[in-house]
Amino acid sequence: MLSSQNKKVSLFLIVLGVVFVIMSVRLPKYPLVPVDADAVPIILGCLLIFLSILLFFIKDEPKDGEDSGQSEPFFNADRKMILLFGGLILLYIIFLEWLGFLLTTALFIFTSTFALGYKKHVTNIVVAIAIPIAFYYLFNYVLKISLPKGILPF
Amino acid sequence: MKRFLLFMGMSIALILAACNESSGDADSADGNWKPTRNIEIVAPSGAGGGWDTTARMAAKVLEEEGLIDKGIGVVNKTGGGGAVGWAYIATKKGSPYNLFVTSTPMIDVPLNGQSEYDYTDFTPIANVIADYGAFAVKADSKWQTLNDLFDDMKKDPTSVTVIGSSSPGSMDHLKFAKFAKEAGVDITKIKYVSEQDGGELTALLNGSVDVFSTDVSEVVEQVRAGNIRVLAVTSEERLEGETISDFPTGVEQGINTTYINWRGFFGPKDLPEEALKYYEQKFKEMTETDAWKKIRANYGWGDFFMGHEEYKEFLKEQVESSKALLDELGIVR
Amino acid sequence: MGVMDGILEGAKVAFSFQGILFVLMGVFLGTIIGMLPGLGPITAIGVMIPISYGMDPNMALVMMAGIYYGAIFGGSTSSILLNAPGVAGTVATAFDGYPMAQQGKAGKALAIAAVSSFVGGTVGVIFLMLFAPLLASVAISFGPPEYFALMLLALTAIASLSEGSTIKALISGTLGFMVAMIGIDGQTGTSRFTFGSASLLSGIDFLVIALGIFALAEVFKLIITRNESDSGPNKNIGSIRITKSEMKEMSGPMSRQSVLGFLIGVLPGAGATIASFIAYITEKKIAKNPEEFGKGSIKGLTAPETANNAATSGAFVPLLSLGIPGSGTTAVLLGALMVMGIQPGPMLFTEKPDLFWGVIISMYIGNIFLLILNLPLIPYISKLLNIPRPMLISLVTIFCLIGVYGISFNTFDLYLLLAFGIIGYLLRLVSFPAAPFILAFILGEMIEQSVRKSLTISNGSFMIFLERPITLAFLIITVLSLALPPLLGMRKKIKSIE
Repeated sequence: MLSSQNKKVSLFLIVLGVVFVIMSVRLPKYPLVPVDADAVPIILGCLLIFLSILLFFIKDEPKDGEDSGQSEPFFNADRKMILLFGGLILLYIIFLEWLGFLLTTALFIFTSTFALGYKKHVTNIVVAIAIPIAFYYLFNYVLKISLPKGILPF
Repeated sequence: MKRFLLFMGMSIALILAACNESSGDADSADGNWKPTRNIEIVAPSGAGGGWDTTARMAAKVLEEEGLIDKGIGVVNKTGGGGAVGWAYIATKKGSPYNLFVTSTPMIDVPLNGQSEYDYTDFTPIANVIADYGAFAVKADSKWQTLNDLFDDMKKDPTSVTVIGSSSPGSMDHLKFAKFAKEAGVDITKIKYVSEQDGGELTALLNGSVDVFSTDVSEVVEQVRAGNIRVLAVTSEERLEGETISDFPTGVEQGINTTYINWRGFFGPKDLPEEALKYYEQKFKEMTETDAWKKIRANYGWGDFFMGHEEYKEFLKEQVESSKALLDELGIVR
Repeated sequence: MGVMDGILEGAKVAFSFQGILFVLMGVFLGTIIGMLPGLGPITAIGVMIPISYGMDPNMALVMMAGIYYGAIFGGSTSSILLNAPGVAGTVATAFDGYPMAQQGKAGKALAIAAVSSFVGGTVGVIFLMLFAPLLASVAISFGPPEYFALMLLALTAIASLSEGSTIKALISGTLGFMVAMIGIDGQTGTSRFTFGSASLLSGIDFLVIALGIFALAEVFKLIITRNESDSGPNKNIGSIRITKSEMKEMSGPMSRQSVLGFLIGVLPGAGATIASFIAYITEKKIAKNPEEFGKGSIKGLTAPETANNAATSGAFVPLLSLGIPGSGTTAVLLGALMVMGIQPGPMLFTEKPDLFWGVIISMYIGNIFLLILNLPLIPYISKLLNIPRPMLISLVTIFCLIGVYGISFNTFDLYLLLAFGIIGYLLRLVSFPAAPFILAFILGEMIEQSVRKSLTISNGSFMIFLERPITLAFLIITVLSLALPPLLGMRKKIKSIE
């Protein structure tokens, strides 16, 4: 499995490069300039394909060398937690302009901190309420840049 | 883990239920409409840009001169040369609390196919400002008048490079093309370079390009310092003010055309008639205050008030004129 | 002479009670705004315009300038502690600042950043004072071909930014360059790779990518490691004292990069971000132990921090001496001056010496304030790292979200942020370096646009790059920097064979 990682990535990137080149070729033409908008993207796409082909024939670096110590944890990791966290961010984005900044942010801080295993709920609630208020005050009242107020009246 | 999601989901559902009841809005029914809550003016650009400054200054004058007694907040929606902000306003159909500031790109950007919304998707309320364009060359340039330049361009349009801040098919390009066309230059052969990182003047001063198509306000100080020469401004008559009044118009050089960069305030589509009347009146009063006149003078903005009806006609003409130019340039998008 | 009188007038402005008060306010606000991602100096100065209307223009400019360089000064804090750059100019600071903080040397990293910023800022101001009128000609000597050559030179450093495989670094850079192509093309107005979305028309904001690829990707990694290293070394803040030998190590990059950073800042369009990257790259190239870069190298932290602050001073050269705004921030500053009834231009120097010199002199005071303000705060600010991991993760995420929302107030950018967080995480997973991606993204658009502008000017002839001395010089250096290392390597090999 691991030995083919470079190959997998390479194949993906080649596909990406091809799609990119096709999209570039299909860009509308503009007659008034010597070098049109598609030139550089086509070069980049071809470069990507070329480099990816090179990558295909390169062996993966050893996973337990001194260099790769950092990437170690990813492979035996709790990916579910990342998915959940990503989901929470997604919910945050969806509800931000709807519910307003204060509520969404407070809910996000509390829920994600809770989900990540923080046990002191009172501290959590205090932070989840104080931080959004501080930001909201700074933006809307000090700097007069409006953050979404949502359903709350202020 | 599922429980937390459920928890969040439920609290959101509860709050949503509460919100639906509270957001009823019943104030635009009777004749003399007045805002009953805070007004939002969208600047479809970041803080500090031309739209943003206009919006913030207007909000300031409207509030401080007591013209509107509700709060006015400026909301920035940046992106797409305005398209993001317009898309946002398009969701506020009929709301009398969501205004926005806009200008010439409202015409150019949709024509270039970069926004699905054009001015007919909104309600023009009042225009307040006019800016004029200027065509400048280096002080030691061989061209003394606009006609000197265009005479050379008629012989060989590709011997001259024009620079501007906006992308091709937009303001700085179009206004130069408009004048060149009037003079009889083949405008499809004009070399136009767009510089969006603030290096336009630099490129002109170091001789990389020959002509700078820009706003009058950008060139005044450079002319005073003797660095550049203005061949023409795009207004009908000479502009007022020290140095500025020395700039010849195109018209007086026999090139019978003008170009205005207008700037004003719009509301969303289906803005209630009473609210439209209200805001039109308020903006008119605003342009008559001394505070606004002073701000205008400092920025070098010209006065150009138009009410709703006149504005609509004006915009229609602008679209036709720009579209004709784009067609001739062969920019079809 | 008029100049001496002018400087005296300026000193009167800067050292007045009001002057000192406004500098202090400016740098304080700037520091805070710099720390918060998204809220950059442009936004801050933009919203100050209506507030400062009617103020004494000298004081307003003194304060706004303070916000500008204060923000670049303060931006390093969140880069170092959270890997979440507060402003674009401090992205490169995170390359070595964050690893250093992770090694339990947060205090020291912040202290080094503060001292480098101070030196960069102060040297920059000295240059500004001595050479502003002279350098005006440097500022206008760059046209599209020169920019192309300079940016190309910077781009060749991609290979040197790699830690493992060069191919991976090049691929990463190519991807970054490709992302830079998204949006309306400046030279034709064609929408490229926007998939019909209005939000993509103006391209993707640099901070969205930086916060996604660095900060959010780091958050994902922290989620996984949160239980493993609860008592890990990174809770230590460490001493903030900089030892003599460390000072010695810093002195090289500080002296070189304050000059280089200043000069890049003078060029309109380049600015603090590009200055900091070029500084990082050049230091890595000339370092004896380049392999330490990216792993908490003192030089790697000093270089970008010195350069970005020096560049900030440099950016005032075209603004004050020519009335040409060289960066987004100085463009907004110019707008601010206009609303106060001042037309910045080439005549400012002679017509308003009190303003011209007042601002410059106030920048000395401001830099000293920044140092005094920041150093004692370090132990408190770095306590951020003592926040329990789950809470820290939530807060950093919110920090990034607010930051990105604050750039455009468009939720689309938040989706992009999440997407780039995932991309950044995936890049790490397959051990592709992120730095070349971000570098190519910054330089990509400028390179593409400047080469095409040049070719439009020359009617398509490539001779334009060989006819201009500055351009030619940069191109030769580029070729040499690419060709020399392999050639030298070959010579070594040949020698060893012999």
